[in-house]
Amino acid sequence: MIEERKRERFTVPIGPQHPALKEPGHFQFTVEGEIVTEASVRLGYAHRGIEKAAEGRNWVQNLYLVERICGICSHIHATAFSLGVEQLAGVEAPPRAQAIRTLVAELERIHSHLLWLGVAAHEAGFDTLFMYSWRDRETVMDLLEELTGNRVNYSANLLGGVKFDISQAQMEAILQGLDFLETRTYHYLEVVNSDTLFLQRTRGVGVMTRSQAELLGAVGPTARASGVVRDVRVEAPYAGYIDFPVHPVVEKAGDLEARFVVRMKELLESYFLIRGILAHLPEGEINARLPRRIKPGEAIVRVEAPRGELLYFIKSNGSDTPERVKVRTPTICNMTSVIKLAVGHQLADIPMILAGIDPCFSCNDRSVLIRRSDSEQHWDWETLRQYGNRFYHANAK
Amino acid sequence: MQTLNSLFALLIFPGGLSLLAAGLLYEWIDRKLLAQFQNRIGPRWFQPLADVLKLLAKEEIIPEGVDRRLFIGLPVIALAGGLTAALYAPLWGFAPAFSFQGDLVVTLYLLSLLTLCIGLAGANTLDRFSLVGATRTLTQLFSYEAPFLLALLGPAIAAGSWQISDISAYAQQHWMVLAQPLGFIVILIGLMGKLELPPFDAPEAETEIVAGALTEYSGRGLALFRLGKGVEMVVGLALVAAFYLGGAGNPLLFIAKTLGLLFIVAGVQSLLARMRIDQTVGLWWRYGALFVLAQWIFILGQRVMG
Repeated sequence: MIEERKRERFTVPIGPQHPALKEPGHFQFTVEGEIVTEASVRLGYAHRGIEKAAEGRNWVQNLYLVERICGICSHIHATAFSLGVEQLAGVEAPPRAQAIRTLVAELERIHSHLLWLGVAAHEAGFDTLFMYSWRDRETVMDLLEELTGNRVNYSANLLGGVKFDISQAQMEAILQGLDFLETRTYHYLEVVNSDTLFLQRTRGVGVMTRSQAELLGAVGPTARASGVVRDVRVEAPYAGYIDFPVHPVVEKAGDLEARFVVRMKELLESYFLIRGILAHLPEGEINARLPRRIKPGEAIVRVEAPRGELLYFIKSNGSDTPERVKVRTPTICNMTSVIKLAVGHQLADIPMILAGIDPCFSCNDRSVLIRRSDSEQHWDWETLRQYGNRFYHANAK
Repeated sequence: MQTLNSLFALLIFPGGLSLLAAGLLYEWIDRKLLAQFQNRIGPRWFQPLADVLKLLAKEEIIPEGVDRRLFIGLPVIALAGGLTAALYAPLWGFAPAFSFQGDLVVTLYLLSLLTLCIGLAGANTLDRFSLVGATRTLTQLFSYEAPFLLALLGPAIAAGSWQISDISAYAQQHWMVLAQPLGFIVILIGLMGKLELPPFDAPEAETEIVAGALTEYSGRGLALFRLGKGVEMVVGLALVAAFYLGGAGNPLLFIAKTLGLLFIVAGVQSLLARMRIDQTVGLWWRYGALFVLAQWIFILGQRVMG
């Protein structure tokens, strides 16, 4: 009887559709009472075939395609792609363009971190912080709209530069917005560090030690909250970060509180950086000419997205379309840490632990084709589409 | 004539329809205040009513594997419990419609019926979110119920009666909130726990377990549970105002007092993050129970001395 009861497992499914998830992913948590004893994840619900689609479009079209990989960190994808293509073509964007890229990237980081603050607070049931942080986020959204014309998918990049220059009035608007955001960020930093009830939900919860973070290959703020100094902007500066260096923000504790603190302090760092860029914006052109066909070759680009290291591998065969574009987003690197950390925690802490890595599911969903001796290696777009139709038809109930 | 009067009290005023309307109105005020505190606009005044009408018009889906009678019956019992409790409460500052020696205990029992029904409703279904929600609902019930009860009995001891009308008459002469401040804090927070308002909304934490025990409810059942919660809020606030804030009396003044309490409740809701269920239990037994015991020692000491 007792043996039987032991084998009875009570599994709580989170997703694919669940209020805690803003995008589809499937998690299974086996619980004993409220304590999670096992966790597993299944991804792939938002796979969109973007890498394959990139092979059928030319270089310029792909710039718009990759910008749509992520709705929150769209600019950094386009930046990584542009940097890669420029590297392949042997052209370098002018310094002013690089600075403007960096400026938009940092504004994007501000918007992304403020968005995360709201989402994470909501997962903890702290809706007031959620509402206030999203209200303040509107400031930076307005600035981005003022600069680029769009609130998301700013489309600031061109292959070889950027689309727009910054006027004096825009600079002043940005500085004014930053002043407001800075006071708010200090306030939020105080809230996440001192609100007793909120600290009960974050301090000592979901602790990832430094060795764990290194072992699991965590990236971005998630790793930096565990004391791992891992920031592409510092390790391998690109674009404007060469002229405008960044100080990495690192916390030692590794718990959820540390992740809040790291992201809030990164906001302050971003404000500092943007002020620096605006004060010393290089003069000159904002774009360089790029040939329509790109020389054959391979390029690897690493950039620091708001969520961590973003990696692009681009291969050209000398035509006007890429032969291969491979994207690795930071979420996939951090996802294992969720599964690892969930075990032993209460069910109530799971949404926060999950939100703690700032997951972005549709960005990380990739399909992997395992090559067997009898299978074809190369599928064209039509074959893939037909395979997809067949697959879903066969698996439909 | 007696029967007619009773029916009127039961169905129209102060119980029945007017109580349901008040429940919806108070729900709206709570939501609107919370929205304002959170820098939002909030719903329009008829939103709770529109929600309930919409739910009533919708199909009620009865999931597989449930006891149908319980599934349909529990929301009705929950609402009936709240409406019955209202008959013994000094709503709007009027004397209770019915009254007898010891009605305080009956009222408290009837008020707990809603939570009990929600817990049972969750346990009745096979849905895993409902089961976790039901466990949490009942766990929470056992944690706040004793301190809540003791905090309501504090004024009863002071008044020397277990009849709500007597206590409220005694409270008209003595503002209990001054004599028993600890009890007042416990009862107000306890009411929030009873209504599963933030920070005690772990039983229905949407980011964890969707809608908790009521996940499988739709249509009529959900509407009745929501009405029940609205009624319980009105009755609960009326009891707190009558016991601690100067008793029944001028209706306008009384309503203002309950609205003042609602203002505090909404403020607390907006200030705090959700507590985990183990933290809720810890809070109640570590602090809630201690507060009330300290209050009781004080009351008993007063009686012995004076």
